[in-house]
Amino acid sequence: MTQVLLSGVAIGAIYGLVGMGFAIAFYVTRVINFAEGQLLMVGVMVAAWFARTGLNPWVAIVLGILAAAAVGAITYLVAVRPVLAFDRFSFSWLVSTLGVALILENGAALIWGPTSRSFPALLTGTSVHVGSATLTLQEVVTIAVAVAAAIGFELYRRRTLFGKLGMAIAHDPEMATALGANTVLVATAAFALAGAFAGLAGVMIGPITYSNPYLGDTYGIAGFVALMIGGTARPAAAMVGGLLLGILGEAANKLIDTQASDWFPFVVVVVMLLVLPEGLLSLTAPFRRAVRRARAPAGAPG
Amino acid sequence: MTATSRVPAAWRPATFVAALAGYGVFAYWAAHSTLYIQGLVLVAAVFGMLAVSLDLVAGMTGLYSLGHAGLFALGAYATTILYNDHHWNLFLILPACLLGVGAVGLVLGAVSLRVSGLYFAITTFVFTLVVTVFASDSTFTGGYGGLIGPIFPEFPSWLGWAGQSVIWACLIALLLTTLVVLAIRSSPLYPVLLAIRDAEPFAASAGASTAAVRIGLFGLSAAIAGGAGWMFAFQGIVSPSQFSWQVSVNILVMVILGGINTTIGPILGAVFITVFPAQVNINPFWQEILFGALFVGVIVVFPSGFVGLIRLIGRQIGRRLGLAGPAAPRVEEEQPGIVDAAAVSAVARAEERAAAASSNGSVPETPAIDCRDISFRYRSGPLVLNGVDFVVRRATIHGLIGPNGSGKSTLVDLISGRLRPVGGSIEIEGVAVDREGVTKRVGHGVARTFQSAVLVNELSARQNVQVGLYSRVPRLAARSLAWPALPSARRDGRRLRQTVDDSLAFVGAREWGRVRLADAPHGIAQLTQLAAACAWGPRTLILDEPLAGLAPSEVEHAASILTKLKSSGVSIVLIEHQPRFVFALCDDVTVLAAGEVVATGPAAAVREDEHVRRVYLGQ
Repeated sequence: MTQVLLSGVAIGAIYGLVGMGFAIAFYVTRVINFAEGQLLMVGVMVAAWFARTGLNPWVAIVLGILAAAAVGAITYLVAVRPVLAFDRFSFSWLVSTLGVALILENGAALIWGPTSRSFPALLTGTSVHVGSATLTLQEVVTIAVAVAAAIGFELYRRRTLFGKLGMAIAHDPEMATALGANTVLVATAAFALAGAFAGLAGVMIGPITYSNPYLGDTYGIAGFVALMIGGTARPAAAMVGGLLLGILGEAANKLIDTQASDWFPFVVVVVMLLVLPEGLLSLTAPFRRAVRRARAPAGAPG
Repeated sequence: MTATSRVPAAWRPATFVAALAGYGVFAYWAAHSTLYIQGLVLVAAVFGMLAVSLDLVAGMTGLYSLGHAGLFALGAYATTILYNDHHWNLFLILPACLLGVGAVGLVLGAVSLRVSGLYFAITTFVFTLVVTVFASDSTFTGGYGGLIGPIFPEFPSWLGWAGQSVIWACLIALLLTTLVVLAIRSSPLYPVLLAIRDAEPFAASAGASTAAVRIGLFGLSAAIAGGAGWMFAFQGIVSPSQFSWQVSVNILVMVILGGINTTIGPILGAVFITVFPAQVNINPFWQEILFGALFVGVIVVFPSGFVGLIRLIGRQIGRRLGLAGPAAPRVEEEQPGIVDAAAVSAVARAEERAAAASSNGSVPETPAIDCRDISFRYRSGPLVLNGVDFVVRRATIHGLIGPNGSGKSTLVDLISGRLRPVGGSIEIEGVAVDREGVTKRVGHGVARTFQSAVLVNELSARQNVQVGLYSRVPRLAARSLAWPALPSARRDGRRLRQTVDDSLAFVGAREWGRVRLADAPHGIAQLTQLAAACAWGPRTLILDEPLAGLAPSEVEHAASILTKLKSSGVSIVLIEHQPRFVFALCDDVTVLAAGEVVATGPAAAVREDEHVRRVYLGQ
């Protein structure tokens, strides 16, 4: 049981990172970047490519993350911004970001071939025992990095001006622009950061999956579902969604049958959505309200 | 605006016949072409049906369904299994598919509509996923390998000249689907659907049960998807991979790439996405890259899809030929005045009604609105209204004033049924309505407007007023399916247009009738709201700051409209901020402050009230 839980958390951390990538871009622009999964793939492929050229694997990994971030920013400028400039409420970005996903996936297959290639294995060799369960060092680091990234992002969003600017633009881009915010810059940065999260997930999962141009499909969907579970109000909630999805998937594989992770988590998500239409974290709203009220001095507006 | 509405009315039958003939020629050619082309035509027609059915819900009511591949799968599997294992007649299976999948759609819609927007997409997405997983894992569906579908019966010998029967069948199915959707688009239901999409409170206050209409439309869309599945079964093999969630996404791509909410556009999208990969034979990776680049390119350059491109070309050609089009006058430059002589006739009618009302007997004793001891709070917040009594006498104008946040709009929402009080009771014309929702309360003759005009900006003022008349067209939803073909619809349509014009004339905005509200000034939006609320002849009218943002001359004009309405027997609740105006116009005034009634009674008495002067008038 501990093993199921821990393995679930390890894979869920990856889903959560991709889900946060979706959420960060969505948070500022109200756009779902359907190429988010492919950004993970870009991270893996570029890191593996640099590692094969003989570069230090750690440097290759950093370059992989940067490449994913750069492609994320380009996606915004080329495929999203013109569409939103025409009509902020249209759903046309669905087509243009899917187009980007097609280009990235097949471009990678064209450049590096459609089959799996090696990825530098740095930490997979070492095992860590937690009670009766065993994790690789890679998995432990993945969990730690993912949780740190989620907390770090949330602090950044709430405590810095740039983070608050994102909130303002999400709420009303026209008003934010009128107040002097550079909407395009913030949105581009959000897409770049979203790409970096996906790239980070990529280099974390790379040693297990190897580098393959079709990785984006699997992890893109999982990340998307993580976003759905967490709800769109706070990007860090997607991390919680990812962890839950990972645990559900592992449990389904162990307890139902080996194919059950294809459908079981999704069914749970739907049942949950029907019970809690605003996402899982809406459950905590009364508590947060109570905390805020307790903290605020009497009479002050909450 | 639809493309068809730009065509002059007299040309429409001719255009329609010409298009139909061209389509017939194409079908004849396809039915005699090679098997390869016939396969492409069949698949393109099936996806055309799917795209049109998805556009029906996504374009008109904003429901971005990813469940259509699953519904499509149900139709295809049901056809194959009923034919192979149970030896049903193929033409008995078709209605079974339409009804069965339609029913599934109703259930899926009813369940999924609890959530909206993206969550609607994910709920329906999971439906598709479950259907395909089930099909892959069950034995009676043939597992991953799938099943071999039935063969479409050949034409009888006397029809042998027509060629391949299945091609005719699929093209006729696509045609029928398109005609049904175009019928809905041309019916008075269309503005109501857009109102449900963009301005839900407006549609509800016009008496449309928005959830039922959405679910019903989703059921219709599902039925079409089931029919597409029936058609698809004849293509050879039915297997799970043909109905994966990616197919759902693909259908949505067809809709958006072709042009969402255009009906014809999605068919173009379906043809492009079906034919392009089959016809471009290059390195598969390059082909996919090109495909992706086209997605990005088309949407970035023409955000409204292929139809946007076609309209642009059409406009260019029109300009070249000097056919600027008589149907599109440059209204922006005219800036018609608000007051219109034609209003006189409508007013005369209103006065006739008043005369008729008074000859029928005196004004009834029961008040138009009678609220007793109303309390309200949002969730667990503080009380927004506390023990409010609010009585509106018949055929009077009752002003409701108070500072911002005093609970005026909340009280109005409670009366119209959008909110439910935590305590107290509400009677409309002597009938207790505490248990009734918005739609039912419309049945008691209550109409309302909203503080910031809630209307459909992409429609004209006339179409917006039509939304207000929803409850006046009997069985509109059912009849919209064949609207242009129904003689009764022609009659109703004429009457409807007349009422709309009269109503717009009554408020003095007739000349703005054909202008898209997005292009009209704020005052016109306010008047359109008023016209939509008056159009069906309500007995009680609730106006939430109808004068906000109007110029002084327009305010006087609006005041005269309200006086006329009152004299025709309508009871009016008027929320307003300008005290001078309120006291001059209203018979009674109620002053709210911090959720409690400060004063209520005849306008003159309230005006002299010491407390009101201090709290509200600032004296």
